[in-house]
Amino acid sequence: MICYKCGCTLSEKDFCTGCGADVGMYKKILALSNRYYNDALDKCSVRDLSGAIVSLKQSIKLNKNNVDARNLLGLVYYEIGEVVEALGQWVISKNIRDSKNIATDYLDVIQENPNKLESMNQNLKKYNQSLSLCYQDSLDYATIQLKKILSMAPKYLRARQLLALIYIKGEEWDKAKIELDKCLAIDTKNTMCLRMLHEVDTMLNPVEVNHVKGKKNKNDEHKVQVYRSGNETIIQPINKSESRTGITLLNIAIGLIIGIAVSYFLILPARIYSVNEDANNKISMISDEKDKKTSELEAVELEMTKLKAENEELKKYQISDGEEGGLSAYDVVMDAMNKYLENTEDIARVAESLEKLETPAGLDIVNKSEAFNTMYSRLIERAGSQLASFYFSRGYDSYQSEDYEAAVPNLERAYYYDKSNGDALFYLGNAYRRTGQDDLAKQTYANVIDHFQGTESASKAEIYLAEMNNE
Amino acid sequence: MLDFEEELRKFHPSIEVEDAEEAIFSQDLTDIADALIQVLEKSKKSGE
Repeated sequence: MICYKCGCTLSEKDFCTGCGADVGMYKKILALSNRYYNDALDKCSVRDLSGAIVSLKQSIKLNKNNVDARNLLGLVYYEIGEVVEALGQWVISKNIRDSKNIATDYLDVIQENPNKLESMNQNLKKYNQSLSLCYQDSLDYATIQLKKILSMAPKYLRARQLLALIYIKGEEWDKAKIELDKCLAIDTKNTMCLRMLHEVDTMLNPVEVNHVKGKKNKNDEHKVQVYRSGNETIIQPINKSESRTGITLLNIAIGLIIGIAVSYFLILPARIYSVNEDANNKISMISDEKDKKTSELEAVELEMTKLKAENEELKKYQISDGEEGGLSAYDVVMDAMNKYLENTEDIARVAESLEKLETPAGLDIVNKSEAFNTMYSRLIERAGSQLASFYFSRGYDSYQSEDYEAAVPNLERAYYYDKSNGDALFYLGNAYRRTGQDDLAKQTYANVIDHFQGTESASKAEIYLAEMNNE
Repeated sequence: MLDFEEELRKFHPSIEVEDAEEAIFSQDLTDIADALIQVLEKSKKSGE
């Protein structure tokens, strides 16, 4: 501490030892300035920034040369986003003491980063713009601007306070509370924030606030339990826990009722529907299987009936092996052989016997004994050509007399006994055609073309086949 | 209930960087110590 008149260092005396000036009051003023500075430091340590600003302003009002107070005031301004105010304090501080001053470092930091400074300046401008928008009642646009500012500078206290005020104006109490809580995180004892927060709390929890007020007014109506825990006196209302318990039980009961109702109206129908659907699916599956089995059974029964009918039909033509008085196939061949040997020219009798061997399936002999086959082969070797001629003659006569029904079996036999008889096959095809058996006719014509190429019959068969195909 | 208009009046525009110089120069830097010195000097002169 130096004398304001001569600049000598002051002693504990109330006068200057150098010039004799009265410095008692002066020393008290400087001490008071320092006291305010210390008070501001305490407040800063608990983030009571608005209280610190008041103390620091008092400090530099008492002593404008209190550099530490100015520097701290600049820091506090910078913390709450008031950049220009901070710069002002640091510039003055630097002018008061050019060397060994932390304000120089602060200013250097800001000057070294002009983009940051420009960004801060833009935020200040936007804030001013938002404020004027609020005066013009354009609160929506102001809200948008303030949100932008706060996204860039979240500690800009005035902007956040203004945003909270706009939310309060719009009765968006929850949002206002959030903003105010953030404000109080920056500046714990900000009077404006606390007042607005009280308003918001009143609107958000009117019952609790009224209850608190009521408790104050009607203190005697509420029984309280007062006890000490260490240095703190705890006042606990007795009936509060009881009412809370009752409310809790009531809430649980309501929750149970809602749960049961939900399960009855939503879950149970869905479950029933699911079970019914499964049952229906199973029934449908079983029904399908039953239909399938029924159709298979019907098909089998139909086939069985058909086979039985075929069997009955075949039985009519079957030559039994002597049972029930019938002739065996061997006997028939033997009879035909005897007739042939008796008179080789009387081929009609032989043919008559052999016709007994024919089945509806055709003329081919199948599934007979070896003895039968040997006997039959020998007979055919000897009488085959005669039989062929006999049947061709009969078939051709029938054909010429336009009795095609009669011509067909004879021509079939003629070709069966003589595979080289192309005419028999050709006329057989014609007979088929005349009797309306077109498929057999085509097949027969095709055989004529294949096996008797170059013959007149083949040429005609080709023409007839073409005609039939073009029909 | 807070009065929005009344509360809004408590908000003042922030000083922008362009206006910083003017703001610094326009600050009244007179402190209590200056006032005391003036009072002491006046009282000394009047005593003489």
